[in-house]
This record gives sequence, structure tokens and C-alpha cells, in this order.
Amino acid sequence: MADMGGLDKSLQPKSARRAGLQRQLRSAAQRSIRIILSILASMVVGSLIMLWYKQNPIQVYIWLFQGAFGSQRAIFISLQRATPLIFTALASMLAFRTGVFNVGVEGQFFVGAIAGTYVGYAFRLPTIIHLPLVLLVSFLAGAAWAYIPTIMRQKLGVSEIITTIMTNYIATFLTSYLVNYPMRGTPTTPETPFVQPTAKLAQFVELPGGLGKGSQAHVGIFIAIALVLVLWFVLKYTKIGYEWRMAGISSRFSQFAGINMDRVFILGMLVSGGIAGLGGAVEIIGVWRKYKDLFATGFGFRGNLAALLGRNTVFGSFVAALFYGSMEAGALGLEWSAGLPRQLIDIAVGLIVFFMAAEGMWDFVASKKGWSLSGLLRRSSGKPQVQGG
Amino acid sequence: MDSALLAQIWDVLSRYVFNVANLQGMLRLSTPVVLAGLCALITDRAGILNIAGEGMILFGAWFAVAGSFFFHSSLAGVMAAILSGLVVGGLFALFSLKFRAHIIIMGIAINIFGNAATIFLTRAVFKQAGAFADPRIVGLGTINIPILKDIPVLGPLLSGYTAIVYLSWILVALTFVFLYRTPWGFHLRAVGEHPEAAATLGINVQAIRFGAVMASGVFAALAGVYLSLGHLQMFTEQMAAGRGFIGMAVNTFGAGEPLGVLLSSFLFGLVDTIGWRLQGERIMPVYFVSMVPYITTLVALTIYTVRQQRRRKAIVDNGVSR
Repeated sequence: MADMGGLDKSLQPKSARRAGLQRQLRSAAQRSIRIILSILASMVVGSLIMLWYKQNPIQVYIWLFQGAFGSQRAIFISLQRATPLIFTALASMLAFRTGVFNVGVEGQFFVGAIAGTYVGYAFRLPTIIHLPLVLLVSFLAGAAWAYIPTIMRQKLGVSEIITTIMTNYIATFLTSYLVNYPMRGTPTTPETPFVQPTAKLAQFVELPGGLGKGSQAHVGIFIAIALVLVLWFVLKYTKIGYEWRMAGISSRFSQFAGINMDRVFILGMLVSGGIAGLGGAVEIIGVWRKYKDLFATGFGFRGNLAALLGRNTVFGSFVAALFYGSMEAGALGLEWSAGLPRQLIDIAVGLIVFFMAAEGMWDFVASKKGWSLSGLLRRSSGKPQVQGG
Repeated sequence: MDSALLAQIWDVLSRYVFNVANLQGMLRLSTPVVLAGLCALITDRAGILNIAGEGMILFGAWFAVAGSFFFHSSLAGVMAAILSGLVVGGLFALFSLKFRAHIIIMGIAINIFGNAATIFLTRAVFKQAGAFADPRIVGLGTINIPILKDIPVLGPLLSGYTAIVYLSWILVALTFVFLYRTPWGFHLRAVGEHPEAAATLGINVQAIRFGAVMASGVFAALAGVYLSLGHLQMFTEQMAAGRGFIGMAVNTFGAGEPLGVLLSSFLFGLVDTIGWRLQGERIMPVYFVSMVPYITTLVALTIYTVRQQRRRKAIVDNGVSR
């Protein structure tokens, strides 16, 4: 994975630190330029698709922007769409950072959601106990679901990429079964009963002031933001956070340094699955208040993309999830106004990741063109150019 | 054991496991898995971790339907799918090999992209959501092998499938011949086993890998053709349903050998068929039947890996080096 974060800065002498800071600033600038160029490139591709649809791209982008940020309602819909993505993006980010490709966030999200729903409707408890219990159980359920591929990887050496995908499908069918048979609340549709009022996260409309009419944005966004801060702190200042980062940079080196890799990987993966599960429950008790069969597919995969878009940093993933969520909100409006399918956004974000991940493409562009950007871009690829490695 | 019990066991086995209908089902359900397995195999042997099979299958399935729909010919559908496989494979190779994008990130991106793009195209081109079926889509049709089709058990077992089924078996044989009987295959294996050494021998590592990824695109596209034009002539969103990954598992389980891929795909097909049979007899709810291929993948991978490790450990214990 491209730069997973530098070595611990406190180990460097002061002069090196200053040079390091300059280098960091420069590489940050290069990185932002590259992200902006990637977004522009994908906007160009998007424009071609719009022209094919006989739509004026500039008009469509204005609609997209208005649909995402143009009114109070639009902003709250953006927040609503972004909330689950923040969880899945953080879950993906943590795993990717540790060097584990947890593509199973989707399934962990579902399993956490259904476990949270069950605790939400089956128990009668005061809010102060009920709500944390729902969140705790969903976290544990997500972690438990992640445990299967984790153990298979750590103890048996089976690649987590295949196993996490397989557990996604199993989770989908398992939750479908549960909603259709044992947990079914109504005979007509495959969905559970509503969760108790004590297990709900308030939507902003329901609060005094009634912000965000026409949206289902809810206070779960604050849980997401808290999680961002906690993860940032943990990764930066705690021992396990340090070990996670080191594991991602070089697992062999970390092993030599005396880090217990089994523990680090397993814990990283479990917390990743837990965050995904937590996101599932927050989406249920905030927006839906009951589990509908296949209520929301694709949050996991979009979270994977958002983490990659945010270059596997805590704040990067957070911003990318907000961006992705608001673009989705904008695209929902586009479906009405321009008849453009909203999958356009998934395509666009996929393309941005494509362009961003292609380190060598920028070298290629830089070497062919004599732009003033070229020097900046050329220096940005820190990796030695190994052919065929 | 008394003979009554044995007879009963045989009765159950022949009813649920070894009968012509099941074996036919096995061959049918295994075909896309064989092709997905070849897709994984050819890149795996060239030393590339290609997880993009899923996205490539989706593109293949979509373009097969589109080609067949617009040109009123299943052959055009196959051609369109193969072309899409070459293009997607080419892009994947270009970005991951030449532009040095992280190959797993690229694979994840292609899979998500393939899913979104085929849903988008279905809505944009055919104005349909979820699935697209139309009488104007020409299916593949079945091939009845003369003489063979009249032999009692073998006839129904081996005759009367669509062309892709036979093609998948031929491709398994061709892949074997390519890998072990041609200089290109030798180069590919060399690149996969030790790229640096291969490079010093003057083998163009990049070119070989490029070719392998393009070939994997074609294999995946053919798997897609089978899904969309094989039995029901329709494209359904997310119809690859993890077969790209099951292909990777089959390749692992088959130890990266063409014949191994074929046999482990048959095993998958058989387990899958039995699952559907149990559902038909109302022994198991449909949701658990649908899980069967994925659970089989997990189990197969685990068995393979454990066995492999035991063998490696035995080698170390005996002080034998490879």
C-alpha cells in the first residue's frame, strides 16, 4: 500500500525533523494535487457519460452540487448518507493500515445491524442501558463475524481476501434467513419488529428545533465523529496503535522488533469488524428503526473505496466518506431531475481511486509533458522504480 | 453392517447424490467456476494476484447480452464479451503493471467499478432496473453430440449442453498444453516462479504478465457469457455472485494445475447441486442452500492450506529441502 504513514517522528533529530516537515508539507501538497487531478479526470469521464445522455455536464454538476449542499435539507441528507460510510470507511482504514485486506466490511455491517436490531426490540430497558447495550452487542457481533477469516488467516495462513468475501455472502443469506423466519415481525414483508423507543438514536427532525426536515439524519453522526477522534488518538499515541501502524509498514520488521504479530493482526481485524458492525446498528436505530431484508447493500464496499480514497488515514477516510455520502445524496436528486442512474457516483469514485492508485501514471504524465507541475509530480513518487517486481 | 442398512444408504446416496440429473447439474453449475478458475490460474502462474475476476465476469455477462441483443446472434454476444474481457484485462494490466497501482487496490476497484458500471449500463442502455431479459437476446443453444447422445447413461450425461460447457473443458486442456508444452508457457511459469531469474534469461516479464492478465480477462468474460446466455437469456445485477472469488479458491484447491481446477470445480458443482436438491425436497431452506458454494469455498481453502502446511512441516522435519 502506498505510504502508510511515516516512522515515529520523535526518533529523529531536530534538524532532520525540520527537513522532514518540509518534505511532509511538499508531499502533502503533491498528494492534494494528485487527488484534485484524479477528481478532475473522473469528472471528465463523467462529462462524457452525461453528453451521451444528452445532458449539459456543467448543468448536471451544478445539480449534483445543489443536491448535496444546496439547501438545509440537502446537507442533512448528505450527512445521513455519509454516517454509515464513515463507520465502514474507518473499519476498512484500520484493517488496511494493519496490512489486512478486510473486504468483509459489508458482511460485518449486516451482522452487526441484525444483532443490534435484536437487542433493540427484544429487551425492555431504560435508555441509558439499552442504547449502549445495542451498540456494544453490534460491535461484538461484527467482531465475531470478522473472527472467522481472522483466525483462518493467522492460524492457518488462508488469504483473508477470499475468506472475507465468502463471509459477506454467507452473512447476506444468514441475515435474510433470520429476517424471513425467526425474527420476522409482520407476515406481509420480510422485516423485524420496530426497535423499542429506548433503543433509538434521535433524528434531528425529532429534536427541538426540527432541523433537517425531509431527511433522516440522526445523532449517530456524533458517534461517528467521536470514533474518528478515538481512532486518531489510538493510532497516534497508544502502544497498540503504534504496533498496528508498524505491522502495516512491515510485518517482518515488526516481528524482529519483538511485536507479537498474531495479537496485533487479530486485534486489528476484530476492531475493524466491530466498527463495521457498530455502523450497521447505528444505521438501523438511527434511520430505519427495524431490520428490513437487504436494507442497505454496498455500504461496506463503498467504505473500502472511501478508505482508499482517503489514503488510509483517519481524517482522510472521514473526509472521503463525507464526500462520498454527499455525492450520493446529490446523485439521488439527479435521478429525478436528469434521469441519470445514481450508480454514476460509484463509477466516478471508482475512477478517482483508479487514477489515484496509479503512481506510475503520474510519472508517465510528468515525463511526457513539460508542465510546471511536472517536477512536483515526478518527485512525488517515493518508491524506487522496480520493473516486474 | 446388515445389508438392509447398506441398501438404504445406497438408496439415499443414489437418490440425492449419484444420479444422472445430479451429475448433469454438477457439470452445468461447475462450468462458470471452471472458467473463473482458469482466470485465476493463468494469472497465479504468472505471479500476479488477480482478484478482479468478479468484475471481469460481470462485464463479460453484460456485453454478452448486449452483443446478442443488438446483433441478434449469440456468436456476436460471445465476441462482444471476449472483447470486453480483453479491454478490462488490458486496463487492469496497464494500471497495475505499467502504472504500478497496488494490484489488490486495483482489483477491489475493478470489482466495485464492474458492479456499478453494469448496473448503470443496464439502466442507461436497456432502461431496466435489476435485470434485463428480452426475447431478442439469442441464447447459446445446445449441442447434441452424434452417436454419443444415443448411448444410455453417457448420452444424457455428456451430450446436450451449451457450447461454452464443452469450450471450458477444451480450454482446460489447451491451458495444460500451453503451460507445459510451449515455450510461452515455460516463460510464463518462469516469470511466476522467479521473475528476476526469468528477466536475466531475457524473458520480457512485463509482456508475459500483460498477456496473462489479458487472457484471464477472456476466461472471466466466458464465465460471464455462460451466466447470461447459458440457460436463461438475461443479465441480472451482481449475477457473478462471487464466482470470481470461488475461481480463486478452486485454483488454490486445484494446486494451480488445469486438471486440478477442473476436478475441484466439479466438486463444487456437485455440492451445489446436492444443496439445490435438498432445497427441492424441502429439507433445507433456500437461504442455506444459497450459502453452500461460499461455505464450500471456506472449507476447501482451509483443507488445502492445512494440508499444504503439514507437507511443508514434514519437509522441514525430515531435513529435506526442495
